[in-house]
Amino acid sequence: MNSTQSPGAAVRIENLDKYYGSFHALRKINLSVERGERIVVCGPSGSGKSTMIRCINRLEQHNGGRITVLGTELNDDVGNIDGIRREVGMVFQHFNLFPHMTVLENCMLAPMIVRKQPRAEAEATARRYLEKVRIPEQAMKFPGQLSGGQQQRVAIARALCMQPQIMLFDEPTSALDPEMIAEVLDVMVTLASEGMTMICVTHEMGFARRVADRVIFMDGGEIVEEAPPEEFFTSSRNERTRQFLSQVLGH
Amino acid sequence: MSSLLRNQKVRNALLQLLYVGSIAALVLAGVAIARQNLAEQGITSGFDFLSKSTGWDVNFSLLPATANDPYWWFFLIGIINTLFLGSVGLMLATIVGTIVGLARTSSNELARLLGRTYVDIFRNIPLILQVFFWYAVITHLPTPRSAYEAWGMLLTSRGLYVPVPNVGGPAMTLAIFALIAAIALPVWLGRTSRLSQPIGERLAIQLAGAAAALAGAAIILAIGRLPDLPLVDFPALQGLNLKGGLRIPPEFSALAIAIAIYGGSYIAEIVRGGFKAVGKGQMEAALSLGLSPWRVFTLVRLPLALRAMLPILANQYVWLIKATTMGIAVGFTDFFMIVALTINHSGQTLEAIGILMAGFLTINLSLAAVFNRINKAIALKGNQLRG
Amino acid sequence: MEMIVVAPSAPGRIEDLRRRFFARPLQALLSLVSLATMVFLAWKLLNWAIFSAVFTTSGGPEACQAAAGACWSVIAARWRIILFGLYPFEEQWRSALACVAVVVMTVLSCIPAFWTGRRIALVWGVGTALYYVLMKGGMLGLAYVGEEAWGGLALTLFIFVTTCLIGFPLAICLALLRRSELPWISHTTGLIIDGVRSLPLISILFTFAVVLPFALPQWLAGDKLYRVIIGSALFFSAYQAEIVRGGMQGVPKGQEEAAMALGMSYWQRIGRILLPQAMRNALPATINQFVISFKETSLVVIVGFFEILASGNAAYGTGEWRFAYVEVYAFIAFIYFVFVFSLSRYGAFLERRMSVGER
Repeated sequence: MNSTQSPGAAVRIENLDKYYGSFHALRKINLSVERGERIVVCGPSGSGKSTMIRCINRLEQHNGGRITVLGTELNDDVGNIDGIRREVGMVFQHFNLFPHMTVLENCMLAPMIVRKQPRAEAEATARRYLEKVRIPEQAMKFPGQLSGGQQQRVAIARALCMQPQIMLFDEPTSALDPEMIAEVLDVMVTLASEGMTMICVTHEMGFARRVADRVIFMDGGEIVEEAPPEEFFTSSRNERTRQFLSQVLGH
Repeated sequence: MSSLLRNQKVRNALLQLLYVGSIAALVLAGVAIARQNLAEQGITSGFDFLSKSTGWDVNFSLLPATANDPYWWFFLIGIINTLFLGSVGLMLATIVGTIVGLARTSSNELARLLGRTYVDIFRNIPLILQVFFWYAVITHLPTPRSAYEAWGMLLTSRGLYVPVPNVGGPAMTLAIFALIAAIALPVWLGRTSRLSQPIGERLAIQLAGAAAALAGAAIILAIGRLPDLPLVDFPALQGLNLKGGLRIPPEFSALAIAIAIYGGSYIAEIVRGGFKAVGKGQMEAALSLGLSPWRVFTLVRLPLALRAMLPILANQYVWLIKATTMGIAVGFTDFFMIVALTINHSGQTLEAIGILMAGFLTINLSLAAVFNRINKAIALKGNQLRG
Repeated sequence: MEMIVVAPSAPGRIEDLRRRFFARPLQALLSLVSLATMVFLAWKLLNWAIFSAVFTTSGGPEACQAAAGACWSVIAARWRIILFGLYPFEEQWRSALACVAVVVMTVLSCIPAFWTGRRIALVWGVGTALYYVLMKGGMLGLAYVGEEAWGGLALTLFIFVTTCLIGFPLAICLALLRRSELPWISHTTGLIIDGVRSLPLISILFTFAVVLPFALPQWLAGDKLYRVIIGSALFFSAYQAEIVRGGMQGVPKGQEEAAMALGMSYWQRIGRILLPQAMRNALPATINQFVISFKETSLVVIVGFFEILASGNAAYGTGEWRFAYVEVYAFIAFIYFVFVFSLSRYGAFLERRMSVGER
């Protein structure tokens, strides 16, 4: 345990290195996220942005540097890993809902078996969050019966049911048809306005402009630029950032 | 200590050590106990027994065998018997399976029904039951005195007697190779990369190749024939016994028939699956190019179906080779039965089991290697069948 | 008017037949040959099995042997030994009841309502326990009958059921070990699985029946029957493990990641997320494996058990019924056929239903 870090930091990443074989995926990443802060991470594909947020809950194992989440260092200690995963929710590009369970069961499973909540309490929480993502009427359906946008909202509700302190979003709208992106972003905006600590990998620049406290631009496994959205979009000094922005916003 | 146990890396290392260690300990303990138990019975472990003579005989062998021959010779005989029965069984099963499989994919409903009935019946009855059945049928045939006779062959309760040419051993071996070549040559010649001739002329070249090989076999037999004996040795009744010809013992026939029928029902399904895997698009394309139905079959449907069925066929062949171990049920001295007899007579249990495992591993791996090569050789380059 | 109505329909049917079976000369020939084969075989079979067959034991073996058709009296005279082996005559109702228990258990486990880990385990546990109590006795007022007296169909079913009962959980363990991230564990397990798969079942049964007692301390060797069952379960599990592993590979990687991100432990991920989906994927191949395994149960005859094949051999092998081997084998084949055919049809049905569901 390492609680000498500043108590306010939700996530602190220091000199993070990650290799896939000989490929250097992340190079000496440094990032600090305060509680309640909303970060948007963008960059071209293969730039390491997904890898970085997947390191935060140990879906990827880092090879060098330190990651401290909510004052607990993410190292080989099994207890620390479990503890951090309980407090960090994640939303995936492909939803990853459990197809053999109903929407309600998807939401109730982890609180019941990980947090050991009684069934009634878990169900009440699940219904509350399904209400929040605006699909309470789909509770008894199976994921396969829902549209992509609905599935992603269920996935958000499922993560929220664990009542996490930090939410990670890994390209939550990339796999969606254009007309469904808005409904998912709306939910994310609501969540941001309630003060959730969020780290979002996304190309939705409108969303970044609206809710982000900071935008991070990554390329080639490095953080190239880190700035408040206003500054990032209007007066970026970096060549690579400007090129990326012109590609994303240009047409 | 407890914090050490919570460390993922330490945990992983411990788990692996525990798993591999306990399995190794189990095996070693078993071997140690077995050696001690065997030593108490006066059996010394080691492979020295391989060069001792067995003192017992085998009832079927392609090589000369007597009770004075050493164990290693008997193991060799066993492996050759297994491979011989296996290849005869495979060949027959493939013929049966191809016919039934084609019937099952035929456009004729009656033929399909017939094929389906065959598969449904013989696939669902255990192989060993079929072996017992055919063995009982053959051993209940009439005695040599009242044998069934056809084309110079005699069918009796002691086995099938077939006429053989009176030729020396080396000539016979050469002739068999020539016969194999007669089948293999057309296939080899048919490979498109080797022939630049148009397809119509290829058939003539293939036939010429086969004819040449057959002629070679005939010449070898004529040269190698034994002096002062008729060219062909027909089996005939002499007193109460049959003399002459080659005797195929009932054990072998029962196994070969059962493997052919049972294996055939599985291969039929593989053949059917292979043809089903050929896309409709390819066939329609071929037909729309104006190819005749026969050409479509030989040039498009069959080659594509073969590629689809080969990997599954390889598994089936491995299974059928292993099925020869049922020989012990009717007393055919295959590799496994030799091992079992060795254990009974010499008590060299661990060594014999080791040889058995090594033998089957070798057979399986070499079959797999052969099929992998064939697979690679005929595989479509790239993803030609996609989309 | 009537003529006009009838005329198109009658030639229509004939025309239809002509097109289906006699469109081309080759087609016609094939149809005729198939039809002739079918009629010939059907007539021969029916004539042998029914029309010229003897069904009663009244005439004794001699009258039966003289008949042109099948001699079913051998079954009438010897069915008890085929089904129950050497089980004590007055207690054979227990053996019959035990077989019924196993059949009911199998049928129940084919109903989707029982496809949860807990329910299927319950059905199989209760079914096997019922079988064991009925067969062995020594409690509840049932007379004790040792395993050495078990035989016939009842023994075949017992070996099959226990093989699956031990083999199935073992298969899941092997599959999990083989897909472990820890290289030593996955490689060692791979070696065991591939090694067992490369050996013929008979050699494994023989090893467990004959060789293993040497390699085990006296107190561990146990009864030959249970050793052979464990050998057969090991063989079954090596094949089934690969089927389960295939099913696991069909579960997207994201499923486990999502479970991890929710903080679930390894066993929670396996039990709640991975296995339920993997087993569903593997269901058709699993049923196929059950079918193969049921047929292979018959191999225990080689290591000297009095299962249905051996009892069949005994049924015609002694005394006056020596000639009636075809009838006895036909009877046993029919029993196997009923079990195996219905199970494999059920598997084919499931496969169809699932492939429709995916669309």
